[in-house]
Amino acid sequence: MDIAPHTPDVGPVDVLPLVRLAGVTKRFGQVLANDDISLSIMPGRIKALLGENGAGKSTLMAMLAGRFEPDAGHIEVAGKPVAFASSRQAIAAGIGMVYQHFMLVEDMSVAENVLLGQAGGFFLDPAQMRATVGELAARFGLGIDPAARVGDLSMGERQRVEILKLLHRKSRVLIFDEPTAVLTPGETAALFDALRSMSAQGKAIVFISHKLEEVLSVADEIAVLRRGRIEGEFLAADVTSPADLARRMVGRDVLLDVHRDPVPPGPLVLAVRDLSLQGANLSGPALLDHVSFDLRQGEVLAVVGVAGNGQQQLVETVCGLSRPESGQVELLGHGWDEFHKYHDWDGALAWVPEDRAGLATCRSLDLTDNMLLTTREGFSRGMWLDRARARTAAREIVREHNVQPGRIGLQAWQLSGGNLQKFVLGRELRRRPRLLVAEQPTQGLDISATEAVWQRLLEARKSMGVLLVTGDLAEALQLADRILVLYRGRVMGLFPASDSGQVERIGALMAGLS
Amino acid sequence: MGWGAPVVYLCALALSLGLCALMLILAGKPALGGLFMLFRGAFGQGHSLLDALIKAIPIFLCSLGVALCFRMQIWNIGAEGQFALGAVGATWAALTFGTLPGVVLLPQMFLSALVLGALWGLIPAVLRLRLGVNEIISSLMLNYVGILVLEYLVFGAWKDPASFGFPMTSEFPPAALIARIWPGWLGKLHWGLIACPLAGVAYSVFLNRTRLGFELAACGEGERVARYARLPYGFLVLLVMGLGGALSGLAGSIETSATLGRLQPTLMVGYGYTAIVVAWLARLKPWPIAFTAFLLAALRVGVEAMQLELQIPAAFGQIMEGAILLCVLAGQFFLAYSVSLKRPRTGPPAQVAEARP
Amino acid sequence: MSPELILALLAATVQAGTPILYATLGEIISERAGVLNLGVEGIMALSSFAGFLGCHLTGSAWLGLAAGGLAGALLAGLHGVVCQVFLGNQVVSGLALTIFGVGLCNFLGTPYIGQATDGFHQFAVPLLADLPILGRIFFRQDALVYLSFLMPALVWFLLWRTSFGLGLRAAGEMPAAASAAGLNPQRLRFLGVLLGGLLCGLGGAYLSLAHTNLWTTGLSGGRGWVAVALVIFAFWRPGRAVAGAYLFGGVMAFQLRLQASGTNVPSSLLLMLPYVLTVLVLVLSAARAQSARRRGILGRKSAAPAALGVNIESVG
Repeated sequence: MDIAPHTPDVGPVDVLPLVRLAGVTKRFGQVLANDDISLSIMPGRIKALLGENGAGKSTLMAMLAGRFEPDAGHIEVAGKPVAFASSRQAIAAGIGMVYQHFMLVEDMSVAENVLLGQAGGFFLDPAQMRATVGELAARFGLGIDPAARVGDLSMGERQRVEILKLLHRKSRVLIFDEPTAVLTPGETAALFDALRSMSAQGKAIVFISHKLEEVLSVADEIAVLRRGRIEGEFLAADVTSPADLARRMVGRDVLLDVHRDPVPPGPLVLAVRDLSLQGANLSGPALLDHVSFDLRQGEVLAVVGVAGNGQQQLVETVCGLSRPESGQVELLGHGWDEFHKYHDWDGALAWVPEDRAGLATCRSLDLTDNMLLTTREGFSRGMWLDRARARTAAREIVREHNVQPGRIGLQAWQLSGGNLQKFVLGRELRRRPRLLVAEQPTQGLDISATEAVWQRLLEARKSMGVLLVTGDLAEALQLADRILVLYRGRVMGLFPASDSGQVERIGALMAGLS
Repeated sequence: MGWGAPVVYLCALALSLGLCALMLILAGKPALGGLFMLFRGAFGQGHSLLDALIKAIPIFLCSLGVALCFRMQIWNIGAEGQFALGAVGATWAALTFGTLPGVVLLPQMFLSALVLGALWGLIPAVLRLRLGVNEIISSLMLNYVGILVLEYLVFGAWKDPASFGFPMTSEFPPAALIARIWPGWLGKLHWGLIACPLAGVAYSVFLNRTRLGFELAACGEGERVARYARLPYGFLVLLVMGLGGALSGLAGSIETSATLGRLQPTLMVGYGYTAIVVAWLARLKPWPIAFTAFLLAALRVGVEAMQLELQIPAAFGQIMEGAILLCVLAGQFFLAYSVSLKRPRTGPPAQVAEARP
Repeated sequence: MSPELILALLAATVQAGTPILYATLGEIISERAGVLNLGVEGIMALSSFAGFLGCHLTGSAWLGLAAGGLAGALLAGLHGVVCQVFLGNQVVSGLALTIFGVGLCNFLGTPYIGQATDGFHQFAVPLLADLPILGRIFFRQDALVYLSFLMPALVWFLLWRTSFGLGLRAAGEMPAAASAAGLNPQRLRFLGVLLGGLLCGLGGAYLSLAHTNLWTTGLSGGRGWVAVALVIFAFWRPGRAVAGAYLFGGVMAFQLRLQASGTNVPSSLLLMLPYVLTVLVLVLSAARAQSARRRGILGRKSAAPAALGVNIESVG
């Protein structure tokens, strides 16, 4: 339980830090995003920056990348203070970022992306560009076709393009912002190997994450960030208790086990049989390939897989956006056509989509109107809309689900992601659905919001069946009664979450190995 | 927002007035005297205010139609063509059923104007829904086509044989004319005016009180949200383009019947384009639309006065409209961004910078 | 129709297509940079006057052309300021620009209506003009037409073979990526808008300096809108813009020839042709893009730049 107390500097004393932050402070209006942060980033070391969403990691890195300037304190590169006025200057100083959302132009080739803003002269020679990038990729063992269009690449390959960009610029400090969020377990392992080999070649690596296990497995040093302050800094080898680390990150004890009452299985709410979907591209691979499963009231079925393996098509088919091309989908005992033609707004199907800000809500409508978005049938009489009653209902949701700030006159974009998600979940549960489809319900949420959402989902399953689509294995294991692994539109496995033998193999199944 | 908006609008107005003064100097006319003339012409006498009110009627109606479409980010800029088709529809009824009494004939004319205007608006809507054709360009092209349809008829089949070769229809029978309200006191102001409060109230009730109106506002966020929330997106596109076209068509019929009394190409003076400027300046809200429509109508009256006294081209009004709109567009930046560095409230979703706190 | 008549018609097609070609290429640059400029019609109108005035005052057609290009760039720059600096809505700003530009052209140009210009003259290119058929169609034209033959290749080269073009396209596809690469996407977009406006301006100046030798207002007559539509038809590629521009040139030349021949088809119907054709072309390109996507051949190549019409919001 005892780990080293707050030590501002760890690592070898005789090496000069590549980058040193001294008392860096950044404020946005009333919000203190970074408060007196001092850090040293050493060559040949992997430093993890551990913290929840909103802890200030992104702001800190944006200052290193030259996107913001600190209000107080300064940044030193190789012992000299610098003031970055633009990202170009940060790049010139040898600092490179791999953002969580890749900064890649999908419609351009790998070579064009790597050399964007880097090409030597005014004129471009595509053949030579491809050769340069190919050579670089070979040197660092990052297999990739320089002529490929980035839009056609997998997430792991795209990340390699991002790394190539930094290597081409001879960046000495490589910052990775939540790099594993989009990767398969196999790709994650490959990334960690690449990180270790780059660090062995003298690069300084900064690894930003909120995932404890990953940080412990790859980092040399760990700095914990909470509410804009450094909460502690440790050598990874010294960490004996991950729970203690988690407590420091969150500021209180983490509920490692969400309370789960066993619920007896109820009637069948969703039956999918041999569902296949080709999609618009007739010459491409099938998007869904003979998918079959059942879902009963009282259970959570987690669909896991790397993003883009048919989850979206499955959800859109179940929720009525696209018609099943072949096979049957039966909802609450009705055929797909019948169910979606006479869709009841309540007591039937609710959907909490992944994109809560762009799909589940309208950013410039207020909370009342956003509540009405899917429940408007309950608040209309003929052609008229009863807004007064809707406001009361919106207030109830806000109170019941502890949405902050709780004013229903606020527009959706004024709420944080976590609060918006609580609101959306509240709205959908208010429809008393018997089948709930939840896509990545806790992505980007901090731990307390995640807990709240998990509790709601577990409680909700008593009166409904929950189809949970998630890329987060921990979430699937935490909530699911059964787990379904999807790979290229095929069901690779469907087993109870209690089957530890199968659970072990999820990583392999997600990568298509059976 | 408070008093920020009026300040921005006043600054924009001042800036565009300055620009127009510059234009007058370029054209070798007295700048200050010219602007004064513009102001006096627009607001100086009772009859000029009445003139402005008369011109504001078609602008207001077209603008409501346009605003309805803009509400759900459907860029209908075809009001001019829909206006022309409305005029054609009314003229057809007036020429065909000219012997009927006014109580039957006028509704007949309005109905055919509404239908033709709506159909003209539905063409871009259908093309967009079925094939994804950009409605901006298709609705604009139909403006040119609509005006040429009107010209084809008045140069050809409908030409008055007694017009000495001028392109115009014969005069409408008295039953096909919209009466003046009080010729002694209110000059040429006609009963077409009552269409404005009726349409304005309907617009406002529809948007604020009905379920379809709410669904329309929600559709403004894009087709994806509409699919998620099971909003009748396609139906609403057809509805707003149809209603928008119908309103512009109605404006065309009122203008033909009340102010010209016959169909001729001089009917087309660009009300449909002014309506777009009005809708945007008024941020799609009905009261501001009424106010702005009146202001821009007054501007037209003022420019007419200037035109007579200074011999300047009528296009001066266009320059002012364009300049005001450009200045206000730039000025809205300060409304959206000065208070807090947050996203704008209107317009297409902005590219959100990464790594925000 | 005699062969001679057909050749004359084809030569007239090239002439009528030239201003549209310039404007389409200009709009391609602008949209590739992510800025939808619906002000092309206004730019062409103003530039037609600026071209006339420049030539009228200096007596030099080339200075007139420069004035036209400059006016186009200036007016486009206004759009750039409203959208890139003040983050105004691109659709509305473009419409305002059209109203403003057409108004300026009518206001400033009306006093000069009927004045003659000594603009660009046709001359035969040695050797090439003697080619059978092709010589008659393509090589007995004026200097601006010859310049327009090079333009698509120049624009293509600029966009796909220079680092400036690479950055410009990145600013139109994903400004954040350009920014992360140390480029300034706002500046790139602004340059794209200016350059696009310059080309549209050349197209406008062609109307008053080569297409006609008597100044009048309303020369642009919807050609700017046709250009905006042709960008979609061209799938944002300079090469395909040529086909579209000459298709329209053909219809316009044919329609003019038919009117001049004293046909009894009413002129209103003939004048409708280009506008109806624009809608048809839009329908065809939409259908083509749809079927191409279905067959998975063209992929995203037939789609608009990803960030087209979306303003860049920058903080700090």
